[in-house]
Amino acid sequence: MRALAAEASKLASLPTVWIAMAAGVLVPSVIAAITASSTRSTITRGAATVAGADTGYQELAFGVVGAITLGVVAISSEYSTESAESGGGRQITTSLTAVPARLRFLLAKISAVAIAAAVLAIIASGTTMGVIHVVLGEHAPAMGADDVPRLAGVVCYWVYTALLAFGITVLTRHGVIPLAVLIANTSVVTVTYLLTKITPLANYLPDMAGVRMFIRRLADNTAEISPLTGGLVMTAWVAVLLVIAAVAFTRRDA
Amino acid sequence: MTAPTTATRTRGREAAQALAAEMSKLVSLPATWLTLGGTLVVNLILAVAFTVAGLQGSTGTKSAVDIGLASISYAQAGFVILGVLTACSEYIGGQIRTTLTAMPRRALQFTAKHLALAIVVCPAAAITAASGVVLTAGVLGDTAAPVTSGRVVGALSGVTAYLALTALISAAVGALVRRTLAAVVVLLGYFFIVGPLLRDRTPAAKYLPDTAGFAMWFPVADDASAVTPAQGALLLTAWTVALIVFVVIGYRRWDM
Repeated sequence: MRALAAEASKLASLPTVWIAMAAGVLVPSVIAAITASSTRSTITRGAATVAGADTGYQELAFGVVGAITLGVVAISSEYSTESAESGGGRQITTSLTAVPARLRFLLAKISAVAIAAAVLAIIASGTTMGVIHVVLGEHAPAMGADDVPRLAGVVCYWVYTALLAFGITVLTRHGVIPLAVLIANTSVVTVTYLLTKITPLANYLPDMAGVRMFIRRLADNTAEISPLTGGLVMTAWVAVLLVIAAVAFTRRDA
Repeated sequence: MTAPTTATRTRGREAAQALAAEMSKLVSLPATWLTLGGTLVVNLILAVAFTVAGLQGSTGTKSAVDIGLASISYAQAGFVILGVLTACSEYIGGQIRTTLTAMPRRALQFTAKHLALAIVVCPAAAITAASGVVLTAGVLGDTAAPVTSGRVVGALSGVTAYLALTALISAAVGALVRRTLAAVVVLLGYFFIVGPLLRDRTPAAKYLPDTAGFAMWFPVADDASAVTPAQGALLLTAWTVALIVFVVIGYRRWDM
């Protein structure tokens, strides 16, 4: 429990974590505001009658960039070398002196990242859906019992993506490469989406499967994966990666 | 007895030495070559993927130039990272203090750094872009749609200029933020998520640096209001210069 408190305190004191939090909340809500206002003008012109079922959720799929950054810096900050005049040390040596059981240290870190990503996802979902309801007014898609599992899916997707980024960075011990690959793959046309054009198996890559938890209709994609299957596939990816990360972390030099 | 004369160098010599120093720093950074090499490899892999998709007919075009350059929109991440590393490597371990002791004229040092970056990036960008197009043309063979050599030269020079200016923008942002990861998050978040989303949603986005730069090489729909390649180049250059001037002013006034 004290290890978890220590990890939470480390996370909260990283400036990049606050940039991640800001990105995670601002990206989906600002984009949602722009989309909703253009949808609103389409509706008032009479060209369309209702906003799409994926309004808001589509934007939340891009806001995951905040969760990615969170997962990456949580561990890459441990490995960044300080300047020569402050000893040239790395925080990881101090951390492992304080918490020598490596598995316990890693579990505390994973829990801190998961909790922070969940909180970020809840705040981002709240603001994004709030913005859509304010801008669209009576044209906004009604929130019902159907939206509860979908919003839970958003939170799940963000937490899993943060853990995925965390697991990769444990292995690379440096933040830039995982950050570049994962953010590039959150783009409007993702690399994994292009791979589905080549092989249908790519539908089972973690991000393609994971978004099924809350996105109902993917453009130009005929593969049918239920939200539950998508969630389970992503869980399996995250579990496997975290086990590999844990094995590597407990066995290698710090 | 004659008074001791102090040897002074001319402004031109000072600038040449500053450029040589910045070149030496940039080419001796292993990260420079790792980033450029990694970008080249990733771009070739993506070009193969796009070509396979093109052979299956799902890209909607058979032009070797268009398919071969499609991967650049992802490979630009490498040039963003290179720009950020160039600027932020000064702030890892306090190298900036040595740099500014040796080159106290900050505007000159800053300009020299960006010039050195441009000198390294231009050939690298040309090689990266050309290798993707050559690979695609080789794989497509006779099935490729014919293109004029003018279109090939135009697209390749457009891509090269776009990537070089993107790297310069990234270096300027890196100098402003001074933290590698934070700068990478801000820039990649803009180039990969915010920029493309705004492009689809607001007409004014065509004047933003990434979308204007895309007009330099990416085939756009025929539209009277669309930005032409020349206008795109002008807009992106204006953004780059404005950003560098802004950062230089701050760089001269703030603590290091």
